[in-house]
Amino acid sequence: MKVLSKNRLAEAFDRISNDAALFVPLQRNNQSGYYDWKSFDQERDQLQLEALNTYLSPKEVLFPQTERMYSFHSQGSEVEILASFADAQPRVIFGLRACDLAAISALDDVFLTLGYEDSFYRARRDNVTLLARACYQPGPYCFCSSMGVDPVAAPGADVLIHDCGEIYAWESQTPQGEALTNQMAGLLEDKEVAFPALQPFSRIAPYSGVAAKLKNMFDHPLWEELSSTCQNCGICTYLCPSCYCFDIQVKNFGEEGYRFRCYDSCMYGEYSLMAGGHNPRPTGMERFRNRFLHKLQFFQERYGKPLCTGCGRCIVACPAGINITEIISKIQEVDDHAG
Amino acid sequence: MPDKCNCENPLVPGIVEVFAIKEETPDVKSFFVRKPEGGLPFNVMPGQLAMVSLVPVGEGMYSVSWQEEQDYLQFAIKKVGLVTEQLHRIEVGQKLGVRGPYGNGFPVEDCRGKDMLFIGGGIGLAPLRSFIKYCFKHREDFGKIQIIYGSRSYDDLCFKDELFDLWPQEKDSEVYVTIDNPEEAWKGHVGFVPAYLEELNPSPQGRIAVICGPPIMIKFCLESLEKMGYSDEQVITTLEMRMKCGIGKCGRCNVGSQFICLDGPVFNLAQLKQLPPEW
Repeated sequence: MKVLSKNRLAEAFDRISNDAALFVPLQRNNQSGYYDWKSFDQERDQLQLEALNTYLSPKEVLFPQTERMYSFHSQGSEVEILASFADAQPRVIFGLRACDLAAISALDDVFLTLGYEDSFYRARRDNVTLLARACYQPGPYCFCSSMGVDPVAAPGADVLIHDCGEIYAWESQTPQGEALTNQMAGLLEDKEVAFPALQPFSRIAPYSGVAAKLKNMFDHPLWEELSSTCQNCGICTYLCPSCYCFDIQVKNFGEEGYRFRCYDSCMYGEYSLMAGGHNPRPTGMERFRNRFLHKLQFFQERYGKPLCTGCGRCIVACPAGINITEIISKIQEVDDHAG
Repeated sequence: MPDKCNCENPLVPGIVEVFAIKEETPDVKSFFVRKPEGGLPFNVMPGQLAMVSLVPVGEGMYSVSWQEEQDYLQFAIKKVGLVTEQLHRIEVGQKLGVRGPYGNGFPVEDCRGKDMLFIGGGIGLAPLRSFIKYCFKHREDFGKIQIIYGSRSYDDLCFKDELFDLWPQEKDSEVYVTIDNPEEAWKGHVGFVPAYLEELNPSPQGRIAVICGPPIMIKFCLESLEKMGYSDEQVITTLEMRMKCGIGKCGRCNVGSQFICLDGPVFNLAQLKQLPPEW
């Protein structure tokens, strides 16, 4: 099997960076996320190769927090669309965990299927190489296996690496992965390796059957109870690797301007507030319920999978301690044959 | 199937020019648009939507109240928010962005040969009007056409020339208009639309009911029609939610697992009953 010695990693990164923007997991100041290797600064940054999940997910690389859509010129009654943007820069994401990879597959479903393709996402998606890292030691907040994700497999990734101590075992899975492998010529060696054993998960979410059960729980009093501590701050939606809702806004500089999209959150009242004042989800409870039903039922119905991949970021970040695995358990505990 | 947005990028608008503006009510104006070189930006079927933008200000999703042949699109837009406030200030000659068409539209084929009952409230007549005018244009394809329409006051009634002069003249058509509260000069019916509907009590025999109005009016009318014996397949409504993208991606217009902009805005009652009542 091909292996990459960890002490040649920086060399590998530099080489990849020559032809593409390479995003690697870094601790940066008080946050962590996937940042461009070219911006690596020893004073500020630390590679996060052991850490399971970065605080910010790599969805930013394919679906940035803000993205220009098109520019225009407008003067009086005249208006002209100048350019429609497509960011086709080659990119490589190094070290994706299985949960974040599964989240990209959900983003693919949203942006590339059912009626329309989103050209902005398509341009980025077609030009990214995904290099995934197998997880053999699930963390305290991890529950990907409960959501149908195999932590040591990487369906759809171009390359899958396995941490085997001093080396990474390197498996190319696609033609794009082969190209990246060829680029690593001279850095990869052939060696017999033994993969570590997958350690047990400490956190389980009993998701099986939940989507079907939720169909009859829209008006259940459980939602009042579960949402009572939610502050509708939206941090779960920003950190979630699979949350994809966006707003479209405009920026003007005199006669020039551009329209852009940016992350939005279903936790906010404005998200569904209509001109004229009607809001189908007027209070925090409805917004909370919609978010969890979207994750656990609606997305399942529409795309055949849940919109939660068990990364655990929302559990870590929620200021109110709301925990999606507990919510799944509570739904499971409801006696729907009562009455 | 109706046309879907066939532009190269469904999120980037094309440019149209406003060549006429008509004041329908004190807060509703019709904007007539076509491409600057003439002709339609795209074809729409009754009940489909388009995103109209006053480009430097903002975008809003509106039903197309009429497509006139291959000539122009008409949007009847009520002044209710930031974008519509600005739209109401524009003058003839203004260039707008428009993208679409979005959504499924009314099931015109399935309604062929049926008697039609249109029930509208306020600006909710705008989407219905595209279907009403379609029925009159293809008069032989439809049976009796009844229209029940109400608004807060006489002034707020949209499309008055059609309501009072043109549509009642059409073959085998009846137009019933009501306003919420009595007015001195008003000799017609007074009361809310759902009550008027029950009073008129049109039989469900061979008839399709199509409803659009404020959510509360729609909910009461759905109940009334059920009481009157209409089956779930005989009742069609068109819903509105806040929309941004128009292509089922941005998230906010979901009712359950369905997106109003893509899977809707038109649903029959059977479909609606499969969804949470959150609209």
